[in-house]
Parts: sequence; C-alpha cells; structure tokens
Amino acid sequence: MKQASRILMQLPLWLYFVISIYPLFWMVSYSLKNNDEIFVTNPFGLPMNFRIENYVAAWSQFNIPRYFLNSIVVSTVATVLILALSLLFAFAVTRMQWRFRGLARIYMIIGMFMPIQVIMIPLAILVRDFQLANTYGALILPYVAIGIPFSVMVFSGYMAGIPREVEEAACMDGANIYRLFFQVVVPMVTPAIATVTIFQYLNNWNEFTLAYILISEETLKTLPLGLLFFQGSYSTDWGAMGAVMTLASLPMVLIYLFFSEQVERAMTVGSAVKG
Amino acid sequence: MHKYLSNKTAIVLFMLPALLVYSIVIFYPVLQTVYRSLFEWDGLSEAVFIGLGNYSELMGDPLLLTSLRNGLVFAVVLVVFQIGLGTVLALVCADPKVKGRKLLKTAYFIPVVLSVTVVCQLWIAIYDPTNGLINRLFDMLGIPYQQNWLSSPTHSIIAIAFVNAWQYMGYQFALLYAGVKSIPEQYHEAATIDGCSKWMAHRVVTLPLMKETFKFCFIIAITSGIGAFVQMLIMTNGGPGTSNYTLTFMIYRYAFMESNYGYASAVSVVLVAISLLATLIINKVFDRNETA
Repeated sequence: MKQASRILMQLPLWLYFVISIYPLFWMVSYSLKNNDEIFVTNPFGLPMNFRIENYVAAWSQFNIPRYFLNSIVVSTVATVLILALSLLFAFAVTRMQWRFRGLARIYMIIGMFMPIQVIMIPLAILVRDFQLANTYGALILPYVAIGIPFSVMVFSGYMAGIPREVEEAACMDGANIYRLFFQVVVPMVTPAIATVTIFQYLNNWNEFTLAYILISEETLKTLPLGLLFFQGSYSTDWGAMGAVMTLASLPMVLIYLFFSEQVERAMTVGSAVKG
Repeated sequence: MHKYLSNKTAIVLFMLPALLVYSIVIFYPVLQTVYRSLFEWDGLSEAVFIGLGNYSELMGDPLLLTSLRNGLVFAVVLVVFQIGLGTVLALVCADPKVKGRKLLKTAYFIPVVLSVTVVCQLWIAIYDPTNGLINRLFDMLGIPYQQNWLSSPTHSIIAIAFVNAWQYMGYQFALLYAGVKSIPEQYHEAATIDGCSKWMAHRVVTLPLMKETFKFCFIIAITSGIGAFVQMLIMTNGGPGTSNYTLTFMIYRYAFMESNYGYASAVSVVLVAISLLATLIINKVFDRNETA
C-alpha cells in the first residue's frame, strides 16, 4: 500500500519527464527516417532502419559547416573578451582604492536590467555607422557589452571575499599590481571563471534576436540564424530538417551532459544577484 | 599598501576597456532610445522633434492593445506552467524517497540549452495539423480534437507561449528545486510532528520560506512574457494577421521593416517602463506578504 502511494506520488515527475524528453526523442527519430516512415508507417517510434543519409545530406548540401564555424568564432571571441574585460573591471572596483569605484560598479550593474529591446534600434544604427554591418564584429561587440555587467557582478562577488593579507603578502614580496592581478587574484577566482565561461558561451551560442537584426550576409550567419531558413525551403523534407536540427543541438547537449552540475549552477547563478 | 592599490595608471588600464564598451554599446543606446522617441525619424534623414507625438499616436494604435494582451497571456501561461507546475514537481522531487532524481533533473533541463530556433521548428512540426505529433496522438487515442494549433487568431498565442514555457521549464525548476532544498529538513519535520500532513507542511512551512525564490521566478516569467518575440517571429511571423503581435514585435516591425525609428523607440520606452513597473509591483507584493 505504501509502495503504491509512493509510486503514485512520483508519477507526475515521470509524466513530465516524458513531456520534456519525448519531443526531442521524436526529433532525433525522424531525423533518421524518410518521409514515408515519418508520415505514414511509423510516426512515433524508433526508426526501422537508420537513414544516416539524412545527416550526410544535411552536412554536405547545406551551409551547416559554415554556420558552425561562425558560431564557434563569435561565441569564443566574445566569451574570451568578456572574461578579460570583466575580470579587469571587477578587480579595479573591488580591490583597488579610488573615489568613484562604488559609482562605477553601480553604473555597470544597471546594464543587467536593461532589456535588449531598448538598445536594439540604436545598436543597429551604431553597427551601421561603425561600418561593422555584416562582419563578425557586428555580433561580437554587442555580445561582449551585454555579457560584461553580469560577469562583473559574479567576479566582484568572488573578489570581494579575498582577504587583505593576500595583497599585503604580494606587496611585501615585491610583486607589482599587474602581477598581483594575473598571478594571485585571477587564479583565486577560477571557479567564477568557469561559471561565467559556461554561462556566456551558452548565451552567445544560442543568441537569436540580435543576430537576426544585425546579420543578413549568408556567410556570416550563426547556427540559430542559419537554421531559420531551412523552414521555408526544406519544410517538406522532414528527415533532413531533423538531421540539421539534431546536429545543431548536439554540441550544447553534450556539454550539458558532461558538465550538468556546473551548467545548471552557471545558468541559475543570476538568481542570486538579480532578484 | 594604500599607495600600491591606488596606482592611477593601473586603475585606468583595468577599468577603461570594459567601461568604454559598456558605455558605447549599452548605456549610450539606452539614452538614445529615450531621446529618439521624441522625434519623427527614418534613420537616415534629419530627425524632426515632435515632443510626445509618438506616444500619443501609440495610445491610439490598435496594435498596442493586441500586444499588451498577448504579453499578458504569454506571462500567464509561463506563470501557471513554469511556476505552478514547477513548484509541484520541485516539492515532489525533493522528497528523499524519490529515485532517479539526477535523471529527472537532467531531462527537465536539456531543452534549456537548445537554440530557440531548433525548439521553435521542432514545435512547428509537433503542431503540424496533418503530420504533427499532437494531432497524430489525438487521432491514435481516438480523441476527435484535431486543431490547426498555430493558425487560430485567438488561441495560437497560447500554443506559442507554451513552447517557451516548455523550453525554459527546466530553468525555473532548477531555481525552485534549489529553493526547496535550501530549507532545513528539520522545519518540515517539526511541522509534521505537530500534526501537519505532508502537503499542509509544505504549504505552511516550505512555500512561505521560498519567498525570495518565488519573487525571482515571477520576475523572470512576467518580464519574459512582456518582452516575448522570437517564438512568434519564427512560428507565425506575428500572425495570423497581426494577432500574435507583442511589444517587441512592434519595435521590430516599425524600426526594421518600416524605418519608423522614432515611433519604434517610443514603443521600446513603453516596453521598458512596463517591465520595470511589473518588477516593482512583484517586489511590493512579495514584501507586503512578509509583514502580514
């Protein structure tokens, strides 16, 4: 009896498990089927024979490799710049002593509460005026700027916890301020660097709205943008569509499966600072 | 020591790059948007100052009402589905007897890391009237409820909001679950010893203590409802007609399709004002509960 009620209690958890996962299972399955199997003979289950040719077609006929490359370039460069700029800034406002450091910090943090819609229009004009339209810079620059406030917030939290003695010791040992930063402080905040890297890389990789507005050149499209245009032209070939979508999702899903704890922590760390 | 940490050159070198990028790309554009909302401007020729003209025109724009209504529906779907259902799932999942918790959490979270384009296209397929998962499933189960999910002018907004709710459920679940877990086990035990049933104990002990978590979850759900855009852009292009318009969709259309930048800027300002107002109200509501 107790056993039965326990199973009944947990039923909603497993029901939602199905709701969350089955659509993805369905997508992967149809990426391995032909239209006949998807539409008529076997719409719900595993494919009867795995049609890898959908994947070959997706990779070779479409621009998928190009989109992948663009996503990797944009996300990587943006993330590296976010880390560098935010670490430096956070160090200046938490550890160094100057008059307006509190003000500078607040000024930066305000940016976290600015929805992207409010900067969309001037940003499009800025990108045009800076001659950045249809370059990687058109995405990298905004991604860096948007990433900075949040990252500064996280790094400041960690850096504020470093004891004074560490700086004093470094000073005694004759390290200059630059060495203190690079060889003492940065290594001490590695957990925060991991968190910020995961968070920013994922956000940049999946960013859609700005990419949609700022990029029109086919050769510069990132994955989320590139995939959009399969909808119209290939909407009748579900197998290839499914293959394209599965391929595009694979990197992030794998990263998540390998580092699930860290990814969940990184993605939800905002809750501690934003509320 | 003090001198060491107040090295002026170092301070400037350290903070200037971030400060510049942020000021040029975020802060200055925010001011620009507010300023430009007072002009009639196509983005190229000379802007004409018209005071609050754009705002008064906006008040008479029928798209504004549609957009506000859709933002509200979107927010309600997110709140009910993500916070309502999410809370129930988090409470059940926190029970120490639950098996396979890791697997459940992972399964809930996977859609969060997918690109919104993939998710929307997947759901276009799921909603497909003839070959989609839902209609096929209903057909198989003998339920005579075949719908053209994305073409109803009145109900497709719910179908679209559901896609967002589904994708980010795992995110809210992770927050709520962490909230439940942060409450010491003993509190709950004490309440059960005092004669509370399990669910009663949750209601009087767990949920009130999760106030901060709920506050944050509500802010996220409601502001993403107000700002919704990508799902309608990809799945219905704002249609049928203009029935799925939202404030962001209005900005997109007026600025980037009609080059009416001044007017679009006014919509941006309204959007931010509403988001801030919603955040303030949520804060107020949750803080008042504290004293009650």
